[in-house]
Amino acid sequence: MYKYVFRRLMLAVPVLLMSSLIVFGLMRVMPGDALTALMAESGNVGEKELKKLRMDLGLDKPYPEQYALWVWQMVSLNPGDSIFTNEPIPVALKKAVPVTLELATLAIILGLVIAIPIGVLSATRQDTAPDYVGRVVAVSGLSLPDFWLGTLVITFAAIWFHWIPPIGYTSLWDSPWRNLQQFLLPAAVLGFRLSAATMRMTRSTVLEVLREDYVRTAWAKGLAGRFVVYKHALKNALIPVVTIVGGQLGTLLAGTVVVETIFALPGMGRLTVEAILYRDYPVVQTNVMLVAATLVTLNLMVDLTYAWLDPRIRYR
Amino acid sequence: MATVTARHADFAEPVGAWGRAHALWTTIRRKPLGAVSAAVIVTLVLTAVFADVLAPYDPVETRPEIRLQALSWAHPFGTDDIGRDVFSRIIYGARISLWVGLLAVGIGTVAGMIIGLLCGYCEGRVDLVLQRVMDAIQAIPGLVLALAIVSVLKPSTTNAMLAIAIVIIPGNSRIVRGAVLSTKQNRYVEAAHAIGCRHPRIILTHILPNVTAPILVIASIWLGNAILIEATLSFLGLGTQPPTPSWGLMLSSTGRAFMEQAPWLAIFPGLAISLAVLGFNLFGDTLRDAWDPKLRRS
Repeated sequence: MYKYVFRRLMLAVPVLLMSSLIVFGLMRVMPGDALTALMAESGNVGEKELKKLRMDLGLDKPYPEQYALWVWQMVSLNPGDSIFTNEPIPVALKKAVPVTLELATLAIILGLVIAIPIGVLSATRQDTAPDYVGRVVAVSGLSLPDFWLGTLVITFAAIWFHWIPPIGYTSLWDSPWRNLQQFLLPAAVLGFRLSAATMRMTRSTVLEVLREDYVRTAWAKGLAGRFVVYKHALKNALIPVVTIVGGQLGTLLAGTVVVETIFALPGMGRLTVEAILYRDYPVVQTNVMLVAATLVTLNLMVDLTYAWLDPRIRYR
Repeated sequence: MATVTARHADFAEPVGAWGRAHALWTTIRRKPLGAVSAAVIVTLVLTAVFADVLAPYDPVETRPEIRLQALSWAHPFGTDDIGRDVFSRIIYGARISLWVGLLAVGIGTVAGMIIGLLCGYCEGRVDLVLQRVMDAIQAIPGLVLALAIVSVLKPSTTNAMLAIAIVIIPGNSRIVRGAVLSTKQNRYVEAAHAIGCRHPRIILTHILPNVTAPILVIASIWLGNAILIEATLSFLGLGTQPPTPSWGLMLSSTGRAFMEQAPWLAIFPGLAISLAVLGFNLFGDTLRDAWDPKLRRS
């Protein structure tokens, strides 16, 4: 097991290095740079000042040197300052990461709360009205754009219930109720989207497992229906569901970009979009690398949960 | 004996174009959702092709005197904040969405197929290096990567399309690689090697025809996703630029700003995106059922 984890971690290193090269390369071929954006903001800056600024920020160095310096900064957990706001990147991340983390966690919880019961219901009542409704909900979740759903939810909450989410971000520790009010709608929008694929997978795997011999035995010995479904069938049906949830983490992180923009939440997604628009290399590079590293780690964790769900699985 | 039966089953699969069309037709007749999705796609294609004829007004013509008009016979989907007919803009928007979707998926599929064929056929170092590059691209969420690429290339419809194509490549290459690895094990490929066929001929005439089914299935599902990503990029201001009618742009530019006053500005473009994505998703499912039941779980 430890050997397996170690090998997977070692395999992640070249992948992350390659991702860093892609991100670094992309940022360097961008038309214009942060200084051009800064000049546009602060009026005309002389050629001399521009040269000095470029030197101070290390943008005059050859690309390999800039790359090596950045990788070293990332490894030593000191990714530098934002070119645009001068704020140290760890400080910006310290504010943004908890927002995205909370949004993503709530979305996953809501997604599972929607998906698993409906998926199980769909499977146990196959080809009946609840099954058709569940399947329609799942397919629409895959097709409705989250930015559209977000826009509709905000507007109709305002029109029908005369309610809009509180403006200005409040942290969970300062005011849990106000924070929940701010996060509930965006998390529901993201969660609904996530629930679609999970619901479809839960339905098909529960259907498969319900036809297994051990489930028939459980029925035959007279166990209660709910007990057979939730205790015997669902646990084994959950393995492919975990794979689907793991595979959706990328969708989730991308979804936060859109949802944070619509609901004005100051998370990683919004920070990245703003940094891309201002060509703020260090911030974009750090954020994208952080997301890539998170995805690689989470995928490893998803693989490790298989053994917990099915003790027959052993890692070599 | 089992091996012989399995080989026989391999040969019995409908590989030719006629066999595939027949399998698709049978599935569509058996599954009403397949027929509905095919109808949605045909309608979308016809709308895009005949937009000039179908649209009652010029999609970019502004008439401030009729701004923010509600639904009427003259303007079935109302008008926007500068008096443009929303119905006509949605009809022309189908052209942008379909164009971006088809080209992005076309480029992404062909590039993914070439990489997948190379990796699966050559294996060894080529496979190792190319697959690690694919891993690296896949480690970055698709939308974030597309956003970064579009910023590099400047926001436009063409660049959004290229960005989507790049996002598609890794997943496609992996599916093709897997299909090539399994097709390579067949006796007829071994036989082709034995009689001295050259590698390009083996790839093009013996392996490629056997991997087209999964490619087409995945491509049809990706079409829906490509339309969704284009709409998202346009919504964030990094895709199609005004005044070109794009569903995502319509939603972000006027749809959100006038949502309370004129909800139709956001409702109809959103419905159009959802319907198109739904059509392609369901059609992808139908193709999969018809051609490649093994892909059902992936």
